[in-house]
Amino acid sequence: MEIINNLMFGFSHALTMHNLMYVAIGCFVGTIVGLLPGLGPLATISLLLPLTFSIPTGGALIMLAGIYSGAQYGDSVSAITMKIPHASSIVACIDGYQMTLNGQTGLALFTAGVSSFIGGTVAIFVLAALAPALGEVALLFGPADYTALMLFGFVCVSFVTTGSLLDGLAMCMVGVLLGQIGTDVNSGVARYTMGIPQLLDGIGLVSIALGCFGIAEISKNLDNREERTPFSGKIKLMPTWPQFKRIIPSALRGSVVGSFLGILPGGGPVIAQFAAYAIDRKFSKHRDQIGKGAIEGVAGQAAADEAAARTSFIPLMSIGIPENAVMALMMGAFIIKGIQPGPNMIASHPDLFWGLVASMWIGNCFLLLLNVPLVRYLLSIFKIPYNVLFPAILFFCCVGTYSVNNSLQDVFVTAAFGLMGYIMLRLSLDPAPLMLGFILGPMLEENFRRSLLLSRGSFSIFVTRPIAGTLIALIAIFVVWNFIVFVRQVRRNRAANGDATVPAEAD
Amino acid sequence: MNNRNLLKGIFLAVFALIFGLGALKYNTGTVQRPGPGFFPFMVSSILFVLGVSMAARAHFTKRVPMEFTVKNIAIVLGSLAGFAVLSEYVNMIAGITFLVFASTFAGTRYSWRRNLAISAVLVGIAFVFQKGLGLQLPLY
Repeated sequence: MEIINNLMFGFSHALTMHNLMYVAIGCFVGTIVGLLPGLGPLATISLLLPLTFSIPTGGALIMLAGIYSGAQYGDSVSAITMKIPHASSIVACIDGYQMTLNGQTGLALFTAGVSSFIGGTVAIFVLAALAPALGEVALLFGPADYTALMLFGFVCVSFVTTGSLLDGLAMCMVGVLLGQIGTDVNSGVARYTMGIPQLLDGIGLVSIALGCFGIAEISKNLDNREERTPFSGKIKLMPTWPQFKRIIPSALRGSVVGSFLGILPGGGPVIAQFAAYAIDRKFSKHRDQIGKGAIEGVAGQAAADEAAARTSFIPLMSIGIPENAVMALMMGAFIIKGIQPGPNMIASHPDLFWGLVASMWIGNCFLLLLNVPLVRYLLSIFKIPYNVLFPAILFFCCVGTYSVNNSLQDVFVTAAFGLMGYIMLRLSLDPAPLMLGFILGPMLEENFRRSLLLSRGSFSIFVTRPIAGTLIALIAIFVVWNFIVFVRQVRRNRAANGDATVPAEAD
Repeated sequence: MNNRNLLKGIFLAVFALIFGLGALKYNTGTVQRPGPGFFPFMVSSILFVLGVSMAARAHFTKRVPMEFTVKNIAIVLGSLAGFAVLSEYVNMIAGITFLVFASTFAGTRYSWRRNLAISAVLVGIAFVFQKGLGLQLPLY
C-alpha cells in the first residue's frame, strides 16, 4: 500500500494548476514538433529544452516528461499516416501505415493512443514499485561497480541502437572525449579548450544535441528531398466494440514486455517495440493478419513503446545512470536544473520524484483526451511545405542554443556540431551513442580515477568486486561472441563464392 | 578511396589522434595517481585502435560509396554563422531575416515574397518568446 500512498503524495504535487498546465503544454508542443519529419524524440527534447529554463524545477521536469511522451505520439502519428519513420516509431510504420492504406487511419491512431495509455498506466506502477527498491541496491555500488555499469551500458546501447557493436562503441568514446573538453574537476586543469574562455565550462549539452540531431538531420533531409503528399484522407476515430476488444490483450502484452525491456541497460522504446511486435506475431489470435494492417500490430508495439519510455526512467532516477540517449539528455536537463539524479534523489526530493511519476500518468490522460481527438487538426502541419518549415526549425535551433547562456557564440558551437553530425550521418555513424558517452564521460572518468585511487593503481578492482566482475564478464562474453559471428560470416562467404566480402552492415 | 567504411575508420582514428596527442600535453600521472591527461589518453588510444581496425575491416567488407553534398550543409552552416554575427553586431531582427533569406537557398524554390512572410512570422514568434517567456533576445 506504500505505492498507493506515494502515488497519492505525487498526485498532490502534480495536480496544481501550474503543473497541469506544464504537462498539457509539454504534451501538446511535443506532439507537434514530434510530427515534423526528421525530428525524433532526441531533437524534439533538445529543441524544447530551453523553454523549461524559466520554469521552477518541479514544473520543468514535469514539462520535459510531457514533451517526451508527446514527441513519441507525434512520431507514431507521422509513421501511421505517412510512413515517416523516426527511431522510436519504425514498427508503427509496418501495420500502422498498412491500416492507412486500408482506409483505417482513424482506427490506427485511436489504437495507438489507447495502447500508449495502457502501456503508460502499467509502467507507472512498475516505476513506483521498482525505483525506490533499486535505489537501495544502488547504495551498494562502489566506484568500480559504477565504472563497469557504465561500460556495460555503452556495450548494450551500441548493440541495440546501431546494430554494430564497433560503430556504437566508437561513437560512445567520441562522446566521452567530447565530454573531456573543459575544466578537469580533480586538478582544475583546463583541457582541450584551445584558449577559448567559453569552453572552460565544457561544451553545452544543447549545442551538441541540436547540432547532431537538429542541424545535421535538416541538412540530410535537404539533400534527399522527396515531396511528401500531406495526408488528406478521412479520419474516423471511434472503433466498434469488437475492434476495441482486440486492442486490450495485445496492449497488455506489450505493456508487460515494454516495462521489462525499458529497465535493462541499453533498453528502451526501440527494442521494446520490436519485441512486442514479434510476440504479437507469435501469440496473437489474429496473427495471420499482422503485417497486413492488423489492430494488434499497432496496439502491442505502441503500448511497449510507451511503457519502455516510462520505465527507462528507473535506472536514471534510482541508480543515476541513463540507459539510452534520450535518458542521457534527460539527465543533462536534470543537472541544468540543479538536480543530480541518483539514489539520493528519491530521498532528498520526494516531491519532485513522485510529482514527476504522477504527472507522467496525467500526461497519458492528456494525450488520450486532447491529442487523439485533435489529431486531424495537428496533421495540417504537413500542409506547410518543407521550404517554409526548415528555416523555421533553424530559427528555433538558434534561439534554443542562444537562450542557454544568452550567448551568440554558442550558435557557432552548434553549427560546428552540425557539421560533425552531418559527416557522421554520411559515414553511417549513429550519433545517439555519442550523446550517452558525452553525458556519462565525466562520471566515468571520476569513478574510474576513484577506483584506481582505492585500489592503489591495480586494475584487478574491476574484476574482483562481485558486481563489477559480473558486468565485465558479461561485456567480455558479448564482445567475443560478436567477433566470432563476424569471423564466421567472412569464412562462410569465402567458402560460398570465393569472395571475402560480407555485406557492409553485418558484423 | 571513396569507400564509406574505410573513411569511417580514418575519421575515427584522426579524431582519436587529435585528442590523444592533446592529452599528452597534460600531466598523465601514474596509475596510482592518475593525472588529468590519463583518462583522455587511455580513451583516445582505444578509439584509435578501433578506428584503425575498422579501416582494416573495410578491406573485408563490400565497398559502399559515401554520399556527401557540400552545398546544403554549407548553406545551413553559413546562414547560422551569419545569424550569430548579425545578431551580435546589428540586432536579432536582422539576424533572423538573414537566416531565412540565406538558408532558403538550400530549398527547392526561392521566393522573396515568401521569405519576407516567413521572416515576419519568425520575428513575431521571437517577440512572443521575449515578452511571454522572458527569453533575453537582443531583438532591437
